[in-house]
Amino acid sequence: MGRLSGEKLYEIFARQKREDRFEHIGTVQAPSASLARVYAWQTYDEANWFEMIVAPRDAFEPVNRDESPFTLHPSEVA
Amino acid sequence: MSPVDTAAGWKSAANVPVALHEPLARLLLSLADNKRLLGMRYSEWILGAPTLEAGIACSAMAQDEWGHGRILYAMLKDFDRDPGQLEHERGSDEYLSSELLDTAPGEWPVLLALNALLDTALSVQCQALSESRYTPLHYKMGKLLDEERFHFEHARGWTGRLADTDAGRAALAETYRAALAPCLRWFGRSDGELWTALTEEGVIDGDPDAQRERWIERVGPLLDEVAIKRPSPAGADLDWDGWDEARRRTGSGGPDADTLARVRGDKNRSMLMD
Repeated sequence: MGRLSGEKLYEIFARQKREDRFEHIGTVQAPSASLARVYAWQTYDEANWFEMIVAPRDAFEPVNRDESPFTLHPSEVA
Repeated sequence: MSPVDTAAGWKSAANVPVALHEPLARLLLSLADNKRLLGMRYSEWILGAPTLEAGIACSAMAQDEWGHGRILYAMLKDFDRDPGQLEHERGSDEYLSSELLDTAPGEWPVLLALNALLDTALSVQCQALSESRYTPLHYKMGKLLDEERFHFEHARGWTGRLADTDAGRAALAETYRAALAPCLRWFGRSDGELWTALTEEGVIDGDPDAQRERWIERVGPLLDEVAIKRPSPAGADLDWDGWDEARRRTGSGGPDADTLARVRGDKNRSMLMD
Protein backbone atom coordinates (compact mmCIF):
# COMPACT_ATOMS: atom_id res chain seq x y z
CA MET A 1 0.00 0.00 0.00
CA GLY A 2 1.54 3.31 -0.99
CA ARG A 3 1.80 6.33 1.20
CA LEU A 4 -1.17 8.68 1.36
CA SER A 5 -0.46 12.36 1.10
CA GLY A 6 0.72 13.83 4.37
CA GLU A 7 1.97 10.49 5.71
CA LYS A 8 5.45 10.11 7.10
CA LEU A 9 7.56 7.13 7.99
CA TYR A 10 8.25 6.71 11.68
CA GLU A 11 11.06 4.60 13.11
CA ILE A 12 10.20 2.56 16.20
CA PHE A 13 12.56 1.67 19.04
CA ALA A 14 11.77 -0.39 22.10
CA ARG A 15 13.29 -2.17 25.07
CA GLN A 16 11.94 -4.97 27.20
CA LYS A 17 13.66 -4.01 30.44
CA ARG A 18 14.75 -0.69 31.89
CA GLU A 19 18.40 -1.81 31.81
CA ASP A 20 18.21 -2.85 28.12
CA ARG A 21 19.36 -0.65 25.28
CA PHE A 22 16.71 0.43 22.82
CA GLU A 23 16.54 -1.72 19.70
CA HIS A 24 15.19 -0.63 16.37
CA ILE A 25 12.15 -2.88 15.86
CA GLY A 26 10.45 -1.52 12.74
CA THR A 27 8.61 1.29 11.03
CA VAL A 28 5.07 2.52 10.52
CA GLN A 29 3.68 5.19 8.27
CA ALA A 30 1.28 7.67 9.78
CA PRO A 31 -0.04 11.19 9.24
CA SER A 32 0.85 12.34 12.76
CA ALA A 33 3.02 11.42 15.70
CA SER A 34 -0.06 10.54 17.74
CA LEU A 35 -1.28 7.98 15.21
CA ALA A 36 2.29 6.71 14.80
CA ARG A 37 2.31 5.95 18.54
CA VAL A 38 -0.96 3.99 18.24
CA TYR A 39 0.17 2.07 15.16
CA ALA A 40 3.56 1.28 16.67
CA TRP A 41 2.06 -0.08 19.90
CA GLN A 42 -0.61 -2.10 18.15
CA THR A 43 1.61 -3.45 15.37
CA TYR A 44 4.75 -4.42 17.30
CA ASP A 45 3.06 -6.19 20.19
CA GLU A 46 5.20 -9.32 20.09
CA ALA A 47 6.85 -8.50 23.42
CA ASN A 48 5.82 -7.04 26.73
CA TRP A 49 7.74 -3.81 26.14
CA PHE A 50 8.95 -1.76 29.08
CA GLU A 51 9.28 1.28 26.81
CA MET A 52 8.62 2.12 23.19
CA ILE A 53 9.39 5.35 21.36
CA VAL A 54 8.84 6.61 17.81
CA ALA A 55 10.52 9.31 15.74
CA PRO A 56 9.91 10.50 12.20
CA ARG A 57 12.53 9.08 9.85
CA ASP A 58 13.27 12.55 8.49
CA ALA A 59 14.43 13.60 11.95
CA PHE A 60 17.54 11.43 11.57
CA GLU A 61 20.71 13.01 10.23
CA PRO A 62 23.03 10.89 8.08
CA VAL A 63 26.55 10.70 9.48
CA ASN A 64 28.86 9.10 6.98
CA ARG A 65 26.90 9.49 3.75
CA ASP A 66 25.55 12.59 2.12
CA GLU A 67 22.52 10.77 0.84
CA SER A 68 21.74 7.87 3.10
CA PRO A 69 19.22 5.25 1.97
CA PHE A 70 17.91 5.35 5.52
CA THR A 71 16.52 8.83 4.86
CA LEU A 72 14.60 7.61 1.82
CA HIS A 73 11.37 5.71 1.62
CA PRO A 74 12.02 2.15 0.33
CA SER A 75 9.94 2.88 -2.78
CA GLU A 76 12.33 5.72 -3.59
CA VAL A 77 15.46 3.55 -3.42
CA ALA A 78 16.55 2.25 -6.83
CA MET B 1 -15.45 7.53 44.82
CA SER B 2 -12.58 6.87 47.20
CA PRO B 3 -10.20 3.99 46.43
CA VAL B 4 -11.89 0.69 47.02
CA ASP B 5 -11.34 -1.02 50.33
CA THR B 6 -10.81 -4.49 48.89
CA ALA B 7 -10.95 -6.12 52.33
CA ALA B 8 -14.48 -4.76 52.84
CA GLY B 9 -15.52 -5.21 49.20
CA TRP B 10 -17.74 -7.91 47.79
CA LYS B 11 -15.40 -10.65 46.59
CA SER B 12 -18.10 -12.65 44.84
CA ALA B 13 -21.82 -12.64 44.09
CA ALA B 14 -22.37 -14.48 47.37
CA ASN B 15 -21.44 -11.25 49.18
CA VAL B 16 -23.61 -9.03 46.96
CA PRO B 17 -27.11 -8.19 48.27
CA VAL B 18 -29.63 -10.32 46.38
CA ALA B 19 -31.51 -7.25 45.18
CA LEU B 20 -28.41 -6.19 43.25
CA HIS B 21 -27.81 -9.50 41.48
CA GLU B 22 -30.08 -8.78 38.56
CA PRO B 23 -28.94 -5.18 37.91
CA LEU B 24 -25.26 -6.07 38.28
CA ALA B 25 -25.55 -9.12 36.01
CA ARG B 26 -27.39 -6.99 33.46
CA LEU B 27 -24.65 -4.38 33.60
CA LEU B 28 -21.97 -7.02 32.98
CA LEU B 29 -23.94 -8.54 30.12
CA SER B 30 -24.53 -5.15 28.53
CA LEU B 31 -20.81 -4.36 28.55
CA ALA B 32 -19.94 -7.85 27.31
CA ASP B 33 -22.43 -7.74 24.42
CA ASN B 34 -21.38 -4.28 23.32
CA LYS B 35 -17.72 -5.21 23.43
CA ARG B 36 -18.26 -8.49 21.57
CA LEU B 37 -20.15 -6.72 18.78
CA LEU B 38 -17.85 -3.72 18.68
CA GLY B 39 -14.92 -6.10 18.24
CA MET B 40 -16.70 -7.63 15.29
CA ARG B 41 -17.25 -4.19 13.76
CA TYR B 42 -13.54 -3.41 14.10
CA SER B 43 -12.68 -6.77 12.54
CA GLU B 44 -14.75 -5.93 9.47
CA TRP B 45 -12.22 -3.20 8.66
CA ILE B 46 -9.04 -5.25 9.06
CA LEU B 47 -9.02 -5.51 5.28
CA GLY B 48 -10.12 -2.41 3.46
CA ALA B 49 -9.07 0.22 5.99
CA PRO B 50 -7.53 3.31 4.37
CA THR B 51 -3.98 2.23 5.25
CA LEU B 52 -2.26 -1.01 6.18
CA GLU B 53 -1.48 0.41 9.63
CA ALA B 54 -5.13 1.33 10.21
CA GLY B 55 -6.11 -2.24 9.27
CA ILE B 56 -3.63 -3.63 11.80
CA ALA B 57 -5.00 -1.20 14.40
CA CYS B 58 -8.52 -2.51 13.70
CA SER B 59 -7.26 -6.04 14.18
CA ALA B 60 -5.67 -5.12 17.53
CA MET B 61 -8.77 -3.27 18.70
CA ALA B 62 -10.99 -6.20 17.67
CA GLN B 63 -8.84 -8.59 19.70
CA ASP B 64 -8.92 -6.24 22.68
CA GLU B 65 -12.71 -5.98 22.58
CA TRP B 66 -13.20 -9.72 22.21
CA GLY B 67 -10.85 -10.28 25.12
CA HIS B 68 -12.77 -7.83 27.27
CA GLY B 69 -16.06 -9.41 26.21
CA ARG B 70 -14.80 -12.86 27.09
CA ILE B 71 -13.71 -11.72 30.57
CA LEU B 72 -17.08 -10.06 31.20
CA TYR B 73 -19.10 -13.09 30.00
CA ALA B 74 -16.99 -15.31 32.25
CA MET B 75 -17.73 -13.06 35.25
CA LEU B 76 -21.43 -13.81 34.80
CA LYS B 77 -20.80 -17.35 35.98
CA ASP B 78 -20.57 -15.85 39.46
CA PHE B 79 -24.25 -14.89 39.05
CA ASP B 80 -25.30 -18.40 37.96
CA ARG B 81 -25.43 -17.49 34.27
CA ASP B 82 -23.96 -19.90 31.73
CA PRO B 83 -21.34 -18.00 29.69
CA GLY B 84 -21.51 -20.61 26.90
CA GLN B 85 -25.24 -20.10 26.50
CA LEU B 86 -24.86 -16.33 26.63
CA GLU B 87 -22.13 -16.31 24.02
CA HIS B 88 -23.57 -18.82 21.58
CA GLU B 89 -27.26 -19.47 22.02
CA ARG B 90 -29.19 -16.24 22.30
CA GLY B 91 -31.53 -14.67 19.79
CA SER B 92 -31.02 -11.19 18.39
CA ASP B 93 -33.64 -9.61 20.66
CA GLU B 94 -31.82 -10.94 23.73
CA TYR B 95 -28.64 -8.96 23.06
CA LEU B 96 -28.13 -5.93 25.28
CA SER B 97 -26.24 -4.06 22.58
CA SER B 98 -26.47 -0.53 21.26
CA GLU B 99 -28.54 0.00 18.13
CA LEU B 100 -25.37 1.48 16.60
CA LEU B 101 -23.97 -2.05 16.41
CA ASP B 102 -26.93 -3.72 14.67
CA THR B 103 -25.44 -3.51 11.18
CA ALA B 104 -21.95 -3.44 9.72
CA PRO B 105 -20.37 0.00 9.30
CA GLY B 106 -20.17 0.30 5.53
CA GLU B 107 -17.98 3.40 5.47
CA TRP B 108 -14.82 4.30 7.37
CA PRO B 109 -16.40 7.41 9.01
CA VAL B 110 -19.17 5.17 10.40
CA LEU B 111 -16.56 2.93 12.03
CA LEU B 112 -14.78 6.02 13.36
CA ALA B 113 -18.04 7.13 15.02
CA LEU B 114 -18.14 3.76 16.82
CA ASN B 115 -14.45 4.10 17.69
CA ALA B 116 -14.64 7.72 18.89
CA LEU B 117 -18.04 7.82 20.56
CA LEU B 118 -19.37 4.37 21.46
CA ASP B 119 -16.04 2.79 22.39
CA THR B 120 -15.33 5.82 24.59
CA ALA B 121 -18.76 5.50 26.22
CA LEU B 122 -17.94 1.89 27.13
CA SER B 123 -14.58 3.01 28.53
CA VAL B 124 -16.14 5.79 30.60
CA GLN B 125 -18.44 3.20 32.16
CA CYS B 126 -15.56 0.77 32.73
CA GLN B 127 -13.65 3.61 34.41
CA ALA B 128 -16.68 4.14 36.67
CA LEU B 129 -16.36 0.47 37.69
CA SER B 130 -12.63 0.56 38.37
CA GLU B 131 -13.11 1.27 42.09
CA SER B 132 -16.22 -0.89 42.36
CA ARG B 133 -17.26 -2.38 45.65
CA TYR B 134 -17.74 -5.62 43.67
CA THR B 135 -14.01 -6.32 43.68
CA PRO B 136 -13.82 -8.72 40.69
CA LEU B 137 -14.66 -5.67 38.54
CA HIS B 138 -12.07 -3.54 40.31
CA TYR B 139 -9.36 -6.11 39.51
CA LYS B 140 -10.30 -6.50 35.82
CA MET B 141 -10.68 -2.88 34.77
CA GLY B 142 -7.05 -1.72 35.02
CA LYS B 143 -5.60 -3.71 32.11
CA LEU B 144 -8.76 -3.23 30.09
CA LEU B 145 -8.55 0.55 30.42
CA ASP B 146 -4.83 0.52 29.56
CA GLU B 147 -5.70 -1.09 26.23
CA GLU B 148 -8.60 1.26 25.63
CA ARG B 149 -6.28 4.28 25.88
CA PHE B 150 -4.94 3.41 22.44
CA HIS B 151 -8.44 3.00 21.00
CA PHE B 152 -9.19 6.58 21.90
CA GLU B 153 -5.86 7.77 20.50
CA HIS B 154 -6.74 6.02 17.25
CA ALA B 155 -10.07 7.82 17.12
CA ARG B 156 -8.47 11.14 17.96
CA GLY B 157 -5.77 10.74 15.32
CA TRP B 158 -8.22 9.83 12.58
CA THR B 159 -10.69 12.55 13.56
CA GLY B 160 -7.92 15.12 13.25
CA ARG B 161 -6.81 13.70 9.97
CA LEU B 162 -10.22 13.65 8.28
CA ALA B 163 -11.22 16.99 9.80
CA ASP B 164 -8.34 18.56 7.88
CA THR B 165 -10.40 18.45 4.67
CA ASP B 166 -13.89 19.83 4.02
CA ALA B 167 -15.15 16.50 2.68
CA GLY B 168 -13.67 14.50 5.56
CA ARG B 169 -15.00 16.91 8.17
CA ALA B 170 -18.49 16.79 6.63
CA ALA B 171 -18.48 12.97 6.50
CA LEU B 172 -17.40 12.70 10.13
CA ALA B 173 -19.87 15.36 11.27
CA GLU B 174 -22.67 13.32 9.74
CA THR B 175 -21.73 10.02 11.36
CA TYR B 176 -20.77 11.56 14.72
CA ARG B 177 -24.06 13.48 14.82
CA ALA B 178 -26.00 10.25 14.12
CA ALA B 179 -24.21 8.40 16.92
CA LEU B 180 -24.48 11.18 19.49
CA ALA B 181 -27.97 10.56 20.90
CA PRO B 182 -27.67 6.74 21.06
CA CYS B 183 -24.41 7.13 23.00
CA LEU B 184 -25.86 9.72 25.39
CA ARG B 185 -28.91 7.53 26.04
CA TRP B 186 -26.76 4.44 26.52
CA PHE B 187 -25.75 5.69 29.98
CA GLY B 188 -29.41 5.40 30.94
CA ARG B 189 -32.18 7.52 32.39
CA SER B 190 -31.06 9.73 35.25
CA ASP B 191 -33.59 8.12 37.57
CA GLY B 192 -33.39 4.55 36.23
CA GLU B 193 -33.74 1.88 38.90
CA LEU B 194 -30.73 -0.04 37.61
CA TRP B 195 -28.42 2.93 38.13
CA THR B 196 -29.86 4.26 41.34
CA ALA B 197 -29.23 1.00 43.20
CA LEU B 198 -25.79 0.36 41.70
CA THR B 199 -24.61 3.92 42.34
CA GLU B 200 -25.91 4.08 45.89
CA GLU B 201 -24.27 0.77 46.80
CA GLY B 202 -20.87 1.78 45.40
CA VAL B 203 -20.86 -0.69 42.52
CA ILE B 204 -20.50 2.13 40.00
CA ASP B 205 -19.09 5.60 40.47
CA GLY B 206 -21.52 8.25 39.31
CA ASP B 207 -25.10 8.34 38.11
CA PRO B 208 -25.91 8.43 34.38
CA ASP B 209 -25.73 12.23 34.18
CA ALA B 210 -22.30 12.23 35.83
CA GLN B 211 -21.06 9.57 33.41
CA ARG B 212 -22.49 11.49 30.45
CA GLU B 213 -20.62 14.55 31.65
CA ARG B 214 -17.33 12.62 31.79
CA TRP B 215 -17.99 11.22 28.31
CA ILE B 216 -18.68 14.69 26.87
CA GLU B 217 -15.48 15.96 28.46
CA ARG B 218 -13.55 13.11 26.79
CA VAL B 219 -15.13 13.28 23.31
CA GLY B 220 -15.72 17.05 23.36
CA PRO B 221 -12.46 17.94 21.57
CA LEU B 222 -13.33 15.48 18.80
CA LEU B 223 -16.81 16.98 18.43
CA ASP B 224 -15.21 20.43 18.29
CA GLU B 225 -13.01 19.31 15.39
CA VAL B 226 -16.05 18.46 13.28
CA ALA B 227 -17.99 21.53 14.45
CA ILE B 228 -20.63 19.66 16.47
CA LYS B 229 -21.91 21.55 19.48
CA ARG B 230 -21.20 19.73 22.73
CA PRO B 231 -24.49 18.29 24.03
CA SER B 232 -26.04 18.67 27.45
CA PRO B 233 -25.26 15.81 29.87
CA ALA B 234 -28.73 15.99 31.41
CA GLY B 235 -30.81 12.92 30.71
CA ALA B 236 -33.89 15.14 30.91
CA ASP B 237 -32.80 16.82 27.67
CA LEU B 238 -32.82 13.56 25.67
CA ASP B 239 -35.63 11.98 23.69
CA TRP B 240 -36.45 8.66 25.41
CA ASP B 241 -39.23 7.65 23.05
CA GLY B 242 -38.90 3.90 22.38
CA TRP B 243 -36.16 3.47 24.99
CA ASP B 244 -35.76 -0.03 26.44
CA GLU B 245 -34.12 0.39 29.84
CA ALA B 246 -33.42 -3.34 30.23
CA ARG B 247 -31.55 -3.58 26.91
CA ARG B 248 -30.12 -0.05 27.03
CA ARG B 249 -31.19 0.74 23.48
CA THR B 250 -33.90 2.34 21.43
CA GLY B 251 -36.09 0.07 19.39
CA SER B 252 -36.93 -3.60 19.62
CA GLY B 253 -34.38 -4.80 17.07
CA GLY B 254 -30.95 -6.28 17.55
CA PRO B 255 -27.95 -7.47 15.58
CA ASP B 256 -28.95 -8.44 12.01
CA ALA B 257 -29.03 -12.11 10.98
CA ASP B 258 -25.56 -12.16 9.44
CA THR B 259 -24.05 -10.42 12.45
CA LEU B 260 -25.80 -12.77 14.85
CA ALA B 261 -24.61 -15.92 13.06
CA ARG B 262 -21.04 -14.69 13.08
CA VAL B 263 -20.97 -13.29 16.58
CA ARG B 264 -22.35 -16.53 17.99
CA GLY B 265 -19.96 -18.59 15.85
CA ASP B 266 -22.83 -20.67 14.39
CA LYS B 267 -20.98 -21.89 11.30
CA ASN B 268 -17.88 -22.99 13.15
CA ARG B 269 -19.76 -24.57 16.01
CA SER B 270 -21.79 -26.69 13.59
CA MET B 271 -18.53 -28.52 12.81
CA LEU B 272 -17.75 -29.30 16.44
CA MET B 273 -18.37 -32.86 17.63
CA ASP B 274 -18.97 -33.72 21.23
